[in-house]
Amino acid sequence: MAFTLYSLLQAALLCVNAIAVLHEERFLKNIGWGTDQGIGGFGEEPGIKSQLMNLIRSVRTVMRVPLIIVNSITIVLLLLFG
Amino acid sequence: MHAAGLAAPAGTPRLRKWPSKRRVPGSQPSMADPHQFFDDTSSAPSRGYGGQPSPGGMGYSSPSASHEAAFLADPMSNMAMAYGSSLAAQGKQLVDKNIDRFIPVTKLKYYFAVDTVYVGKKLGLLVFPYLHQDWEVQYQQDTPVAPRFDINAPDLYIPAMAFITYILVAGLALGTQDRFSPDLLGLQASSALAWLTLEVVAILLSLYLVTVNTDLTTIDLVAFLGYKYVGMIGGVLVGLLFGKIGYYLVLGWCCVSIFVFMIRTLRLKILAQAAAEGVPVRGARNQLRMYLTMAVAAAQPLLMYWLTFHLVR
Repeated sequence: MAFTLYSLLQAALLCVNAIAVLHEERFLKNIGWGTDQGIGGFGEEPGIKSQLMNLIRSVRTVMRVPLIIVNSITIVLLLLFG
Repeated sequence: MHAAGLAAPAGTPRLRKWPSKRRVPGSQPSMADPHQFFDDTSSAPSRGYGGQPSPGGMGYSSPSASHEAAFLADPMSNMAMAYGSSLAAQGKQLVDKNIDRFIPVTKLKYYFAVDTVYVGKKLGLLVFPYLHQDWEVQYQQDTPVAPRFDINAPDLYIPAMAFITYILVAGLALGTQDRFSPDLLGLQASSALAWLTLEVVAILLSLYLVTVNTDLTTIDLVAFLGYKYVGMIGGVLVGLLFGKIGYYLVLGWCCVSIFVFMIRTLRLKILAQAAAEGVPVRGARNQLRMYLTMAVAAAQPLLMYWLTFHLVR
């Protein structure tokens, strides 16, 4: 059972990459998860779907630049050390 | 040349003694002389003695056979010590100020404020939670009471100790089956930590998605999720002694206990106040929260089995 912290880090990096790759216009709008489609008024509880859309949008905004750096480092390290 | 840079108005007697000491550099470690000097310098403890900042600024290493007492009496070394200690104090202040940004040390101290009675009672509660009536954490002016005074409060001592014991017991179990090697210990530890991290992240994510406003902090969550290691240790130890039957029996019992414990504890934290008192409140949100609590509680026995079944053959 080789589920180590390192593989967890790798999985997290891949997941964040996957979220960052989702294209706003071609994909998210088509399934109704665009960022401008999530405003549900000021009801007291945002539903799960709008929370998820908020999460996706914030991850994409915040993690753009750090992802570039971390991906580059990972690529270099994997090339060097397998 | 002696008084250069040195305010030693009353040090003339000692200044006169000083050349004599310089003439016998590195002579026998004259412990008498420093004491004598100390006695003399009771009013001016560090004047004059070896005080001249010699051309290299090495006043304290002047060949006066200075031992610790004389070393400390030296103004150069005094200054050096004062500077060093002030530097250390500054560094300590800097570390103290900044470490609170990364590791909430003061908050962590709350979780380790336990005593033996609490640990004993809590272990008993983890294995047999069926008779306990009141699961509320007592508050004292808006802050929860320390675990020492309230058995319902979460602590980090039991999970930390149980985690380490689990690693050791896993090593023991592997050793009895001739499968042990030292790096396997590290692998077990890493694996268990990875599962714990995954659990915490998954629960935090689902709490965010369901917009639950709880006072369940991350450290609280780590504490609650760490309680399952107690049952795992019990199961593996009994499995070592009595084989698979014993392992399944004890693990089954501990799984059910942890399930009940988690449900009763998390119900108060996650569900709304009305629902926690037993009144079934309608509404999609409360139902969702109930499902979330049950999912968290149900994940515990699964993980307990998953992390231990390979240890007992």
